[in-house]
Amino acid sequence: MSSLAEIQRQIESLLGLAPYGTSPQQHESVLLALLKQELAYACGKNLQFCNYVEHWPVRFSEATRIADLPYLPVSMFKANPPLALVGTDEIRRTLTSSATTGQVPSRIVLDAATAKVMSKGVVTIIRDFIGPARRPYLIIDTEENLGTHAQLGARGAAIQGLSSFATEQVCCLHPGQEQDERLDLEKLLTFVDRWKNSSVLVYGFTYVIWTQFVQALRREGIRLDMPNVHVLHSGGWKRLQQQAVTQEVFNREVASVFGCPATRVMDFYGMVENVGVVYPDCDYGNKHVPAFAEVIIRDPLTLAPVEAGQKGLIEVCSALPTSFPGFSLLTEDLAEVVNYDGCPCGRRGISFRFAGRVPKAEVRGCGNLENLRYPRSVVGVA
Amino acid sequence: MKDAIQSIESVPEMTDRLQQLRYATQATEVVPQAVLEIYDRWAEALDDRELHNVPGVTFLRLWLRRSNLEPIVCRELGPGWLNGGWWKDGRARLRAFPVGVVGHWPAANIEIQPVLSLSCGLLGGNGCVVRVPNGLIPITRLLMQKLQEIDHDGLLTKRILMASFDHSRLDVHEAMAGAVDGAMIWGGAEAVSQVRALPFPHWARIAVFGPRISAAVMDAETWGNRSERTEWCRRIARDVWQFDQQACSSPQALFLERSEEHDAREFAEDLKRAFQEENAAHPRREIEPGLTSSICGVRASWLLGDLSHQAFFPASPDWTILLGTGTEMPMPTQGRTLSVLLVDDLSEVISKFDGTVQTLGLGVGNARKEEMLAHAAGRHGVDRVVKLGRMHVFSSPWDGIELVRSMVRVVRHVPTAD
Repeated sequence: MSSLAEIQRQIESLLGLAPYGTSPQQHESVLLALLKQELAYACGKNLQFCNYVEHWPVRFSEATRIADLPYLPVSMFKANPPLALVGTDEIRRTLTSSATTGQVPSRIVLDAATAKVMSKGVVTIIRDFIGPARRPYLIIDTEENLGTHAQLGARGAAIQGLSSFATEQVCCLHPGQEQDERLDLEKLLTFVDRWKNSSVLVYGFTYVIWTQFVQALRREGIRLDMPNVHVLHSGGWKRLQQQAVTQEVFNREVASVFGCPATRVMDFYGMVENVGVVYPDCDYGNKHVPAFAEVIIRDPLTLAPVEAGQKGLIEVCSALPTSFPGFSLLTEDLAEVVNYDGCPCGRRGISFRFAGRVPKAEVRGCGNLENLRYPRSVVGVA
Repeated sequence: MKDAIQSIESVPEMTDRLQQLRYATQATEVVPQAVLEIYDRWAEALDDRELHNVPGVTFLRLWLRRSNLEPIVCRELGPGWLNGGWWKDGRARLRAFPVGVVGHWPAANIEIQPVLSLSCGLLGGNGCVVRVPNGLIPITRLLMQKLQEIDHDGLLTKRILMASFDHSRLDVHEAMAGAVDGAMIWGGAEAVSQVRALPFPHWARIAVFGPRISAAVMDAETWGNRSERTEWCRRIARDVWQFDQQACSSPQALFLERSEEHDAREFAEDLKRAFQEENAAHPRREIEPGLTSSICGVRASWLLGDLSHQAFFPASPDWTILLGTGTEMPMPTQGRTLSVLLVDDLSEVISKFDGTVQTLGLGVGNARKEEMLAHAAGRHGVDRVVKLGRMHVFSSPWDGIELVRSMVRVVRHVPTAD
């Protein structure tokens, strides 16, 4: 079994590479070797995880491709206590996913080392899309979501992941209920006055930008004159789809409000469980995978990787986490593989497009039982 | 030949068709012998190459045979009723008459269910309106065309309305429900609840089949017997595979009586081979991504949940065996996912059933033990206790309900001369 130090050395080495410059063959070979070492390490640290891995149809030590390695359904991180590879005394921060009402959020434990490589991972990726310079950072969110505590939500994690690019940061929403009018117009306009001709980074959750920012400014008839912004957003399209807002409409309206080209509005896919990895759209509308990660789109019928042009379940792999077993995760999202290499943007490896959430499985037929007839405590009398 | 399935577009159309059906039903009386004669010919007609691949048609042919149905009719209503006669009940006499028009709402997951449900209503002498689920229209049409071909005089076909309309057309559902004297409702929790909520007349007889789940139990003597184990495992695999484990009679869990002499893992290995063979013979053609997620989820949560838990599964979502201990019925995952749970006492498992378990599949070598388990199962809400491998064999009673008798009125005549 490789030592943690050796694994961390290899992670640092991967983080030092150009994120999208490796050939698919080289990428597969290097990452497979590291993921095997990490699985072996994780099995020594978490016996439950080891029990799962040992029952996998292919022994991970004999796997010849990343697609054969065991993967965990992402819902397993809803367990309490959270799945971990470190003791509670080593946990520096717990990330929580953005579960909607009634759902149990995922909880991801980070130790100092994982938190550090997580930040590096995000910076490496984003730098490739917007350049390395630090710049003013406008956060379309409230200060309370910045997340300076031990518990950090998905929004806070995303906001904080981009803070390495910030010379200063300004939050332009008031705290309050999401349905309320919350845009702090005075603060926003002061920021715009100061930096309108500069390169500026903007981030917000997709539906927050739409409901609290774009709509509010349109109601006021305000158009910001900031042609050099990069507007990054994430968090999914479900709520906007319910309002029939497509990505094209969103990009056009956001660009119109900022007075910038629509190509400067960038959606990225990501989840707290896949720490340190985000998937921004390239200029061709495709998502790419950095050197320290992999994405496998699996056919729901066979769970084998799909051909280019086909859709399937998204599995995300990352070499970065060493504080929890998040190396290979089967998500509850769907995507289409555009190609396995050769995106015109020049980034190597798989390119894919997000295709929505997996509809919840319904137990079907006359065997569809929603509830037991009586609570367990009522029955049991022989 | 007119289309065997009528597409209904509006409430007036449904009302009109149902009125015609009622007139046709009341105009003539049909006795079970005549129905059985036509069913016999229908069964023969179904032996057609184009139907060989339709799931359940082989069974439907057996079901419709006189040799199968006559004993059911005799048991439920007495031999005298076969020819429509009266039978003695002390000084009085009894005779069954149809309730009138019976509405059928079959489940969408079993290809032959519209016809099975219909066959029960017709045997009672009723007129029948069947709401054919959209996904089953092509298959049902093929099956009904065979009846049209052999029922030259329309003795039965005049009493049938096979209706198709979108499941969201509540107004048409309501029109159908409002015009029937009885209803046979099949399906899952949501479907059954929605149909039951329709405005049936106060006199309508309602027979509900489902939602239920099923389980299997084996005593140590049986599962430990190496020479017979392969055959038992084949039987279990067949029960899991049919209807893609979505039927109320599909086993979701197999409880094994613990034995110091036999290794449950060895048994699970044999079961794994049986699942592999059944999968090779009947591979899945499609799956919803959500079911794949659920299958992957239950595999992981099982193995992460306890270090003693074991599991067997291929890289695909084709099938899953979860091996461990526990006396409680797991909530179903479906998708050919079977929990195999070791228990000290099979009676303890059965004592925890709450009425949701419809069928108990048995692999029990000791007759006294079987008798005891069957009795306990009946007490705890189980409606069918059958040998493993036969869990889906449709018969009467089903869900504790007599299939023909439930849709007839039994009239008592006390002669004036008495």
